[in-house]
Amino acid sequence: MSDARIRTAGIVVTHGKLAEELIRTIESILGEVGDLYPVCSENYVDTMIVKKIREIIETYKEGHVVLFADYSGGSCFLNCIRAKVGVKGVKLISGVNLPVLLDFVTKRGLMDYNEMTDHLVKRGRDSISSTS
Amino acid sequence: MLVLVRVDDRLIHAQVVIGWKEECRPDRIILADDNVAANEFEKNLYISAASADTKVSVIPLKDAAERIKRGVYDRDRVILLVRSPEQALRLYEYGVVFDELNIGGMHYMEGRKKVMEDFYISDEEKSILRELVKKSVVLEARALPGDEKVIINSKIV
Repeated sequence: MSDARIRTAGIVVTHGKLAEELIRTIESILGEVGDLYPVCSENYVDTMIVKKIREIIETYKEGHVVLFADYSGGSCFLNCIRAKVGVKGVKLISGVNLPVLLDFVTKRGLMDYNEMTDHLVKRGRDSISSTS
Repeated sequence: MLVLVRVDDRLIHAQVVIGWKEECRPDRIILADDNVAANEFEKNLYISAASADTKVSVIPLKDAAERIKRGVYDRDRVILLVRSPEQALRLYEYGVVFDELNIGGMHYMEGRKKVMEDFYISDEEKSILRELVKKSVVLEARALPGDEKVIINSKIV
């Protein structure tokens, strides 16, 4: 586990292997980052996905966790909701993209938890643009 | 009118809501499952996963069968979802007669072996599907309408 200052963990929960690839891309930009975990739904039943997420959350009892789901309303999103029920200090952000994760990794040690999650939602929205 | 009868352990999710939408043009999704129907949290979770223009009924299996037989949903184009082969067989035995069953999502869990992508099965589930084969139900395995339609009756028997 990494430095005590970084006590906010991220769990990226997606369809296919997207979570692994997102984190691999983050690490190709920033180098190795700690406290950031992929959970790829692949071919597992929902109960196994929920169990995997809960096991990671359990290791951050003293800190905070942000769950990142790929698609609001999708099975990964629903499994995140199931995993966080009754657990304090866990927030869920849907529609995860690269800018959101980059900001999470680089700003989680600098910002208040609630302030950071608000920032991440805004960052995700602002990062989508159209160019003609 | 039943436009799709599907076994999918993820029940209402993106493949069903988006993937089958154009093919089936559903007015309603019926999620027939005793446990989900009895659990407000799970029930609301699945309802929230459907698109706003599709009605959703989350009801116990037997109730679903009775309502379908009574013609309650005859005016709707219905996607009927169950979680397992056992539930599909129960539906059939309650009198919901379908010619074709879509095996859309049976994911990996302990005791299941891979048949193909998105389709893992245990020996017990195989024997249940055999009962449906005996009733001349065509078992077609595919997650999405654009996937190859694989008829698995001979694999099961």
